[in-house]
Amino acid sequence: MISPAKQSIPDVFDVRILRQDGPGEKSYWERHRVTHQPDMNVISVLQQIAARAETEEGKKVSPVAWDCNCLEEVCGACTMLVNGRTRQACSALVDNLLQEQPDGIELRPMSKFPVVRDLVVQRDRLFRALKKVKAWVSVDGYFDRGPGPQQSPADQQTAYPLSQCMSCGCCLEACPQYTKIEVTRREGESEADFKKREAAAFDRGFIGAHAISQAILFNIHPTGKMNAGERLDALTSEGGLQICGNAQNCVAVCPKSIPLTTSIARAGRATTLHSLKKFFDR
Amino acid sequence: MTDSQPSPSFLARHEFLIRRLHSLSGLIPVGAYMVVHLLTNASVLAGAATFQANVDRIHSLGPILPLVEWTFIFIPILFHAILGVAFIWGAVPNTSDYPYSSNIRYMLQRATGMIAFAFIAFHIWHLHKYGEPFGGGAFDPHHATSTAGTAIQSALWIQLAYAVGVLACVYHLANGIWTMGITWGVWTSSEAQRKASYACGGFGVLLAVVGLAALSGFRMVDVEEAAAVEDRLETHRKIAEGEVAWGEEESTEEGSETSGDSPDVSSP
Ligand code: SF4
Ligand code: SF4
Ligand code: FES
Repeated sequence: MISPAKQSIPDVFDVRILRQDGPGEKSYWERHRVTHQPDMNVISVLQQIAARAETEEGKKVSPVAWDCNCLEEVCGACTMLVNGRTRQACSALVDNLLQEQPDGIELRPMSKFPVVRDLVVQRDRLFRALKKVKAWVSVDGYFDRGPGPQQSPADQQTAYPLSQCMSCGCCLEACPQYTKIEVTRREGESEADFKKREAAAFDRGFIGAHAISQAILFNIHPTGKMNAGERLDALTSEGGLQICGNAQNCVAVCPKSIPLTTSIARAGRATTLHSLKKFFDR
Repeated sequence: MTDSQPSPSFLARHEFLIRRLHSLSGLIPVGAYMVVHLLTNASVLAGAATFQANVDRIHSLGPILPLVEWTFIFIPILFHAILGVAFIWGAVPNTSDYPYSSNIRYMLQRATGMIAFAFIAFHIWHLHKYGEPFGGGAFDPHHATSTAGTAIQSALWIQLAYAVGVLACVYHLANGIWTMGITWGVWTSSEAQRKASYACGGFGVLLAVVGLAALSGFRMVDVEEAAAVEDRLETHRKIAEGEVAWGEEESTEEGSETSGDSPDVSSP
């Protein structure tokens, strides 16, 4: 492989990981030494660390936990903070990271979601937000209604980039208006009751740029449009679009370069008109 | 249902409307008022008589002036500022991790908002008659230029405070108009947002020039000369309103009669 500055890459390098043994427990830093191999990404670094399960000081530890799936930056499962920046571990290439910061790599779980263990976070709130805005086209029955309405090429051009969202949560992690919500299970509370309480807390929080953009995507869709009003109602409910403070970090960090701030402004326009219409139609 | 959810509060149910009203109040009436206020102040550069005439026009509202002030200025400012401070609590600034220019503007928008709130409180204490019981309230609408000039010239820190305060208000308005355009969906594409940011930036620069010109106008005012002009105008006003008769005009501040070079004051 052609690697521009191979000579500057050391044989071994340090990886600092912020670990946590379980939900609600105290986190702690751990330092690991990793042997450099060609074409490493952060996932292969983690594999090596887990296999060795021994810190730099020679202490035996439990293998570090992380999430990953596609390994090609399309599922979003491996999102974490690499050197302080939210991104996918699978597409974070070690040689590039060491060139930017030669003294090693720092890994932390995302800071806006409850930690399950080590680098694994629980992103239910992200998916609840998609449910809240009905980020789908409804199934209207089990019989054939013939072909649906056509989508214009112009709308296709607008929709395609929005459809690339992989629900990774980078836009939420970097958003100053998106604050962490973590609900802990009460003494004697059933799992079902706890989940219900947690869901309600998530629903009151900011929905986030990804859900706003998905609401716009499905409101462009010729069939999805039929539920446009419901989506706009969701966008103007508690924790909706209005919480956005226009910091525009979301669009800057989105790994799929989705024009999130355009979606936000389009949602702003649509909700303005929708609320006026609702007010006068009362 | 063991865990019946508490029904959402009034604020939660109307969060969208409240946030939109907060956004709107920043422009209308608060921002619009500020533009008029700074332009009026800058008219001091045209001389004490012009500025006095502008102030008189505002104060010709007489007894309904406080009503106008409260409805269009104080209540909207309090609404915008108190909600704004409350909203700031619900955010976690992260400019150190994500030092993008729009993120820095987001942070500055909140910082200038806080500065503006403190500055406006100081400004009302310092010049408005409501500040009088607390040792402020230096502005006398019948002696607009001389009292404002004296107040501004009294200390360097006051001039600095006004410069910082005015610039914070101007930034907050100019950048606020830009974000408002996104919030309400006026400029949607990134290209439109970029162009709008130039327009808002240009507007901000112009308004900053107006504000600082007004400030330097008060800094340069010759207080005695201005007082003379105002005394003369005051006398004319009183005669016109029949408060004093011909030849009876107060002769306490006689200096005014001799300085005689005041512009714009025609004989009655
Ligand atoms: S533009 Fe809105 S959603 Fe995006 S990062 Fe800023 S505050 Fe968050
Ligand atoms: S919008 Fe971008 S950053 Fe946000 S979840 Fe989707 S892909 Fe990730
Ligand atoms: S593993 Fe799917 S995005 Fe990294």
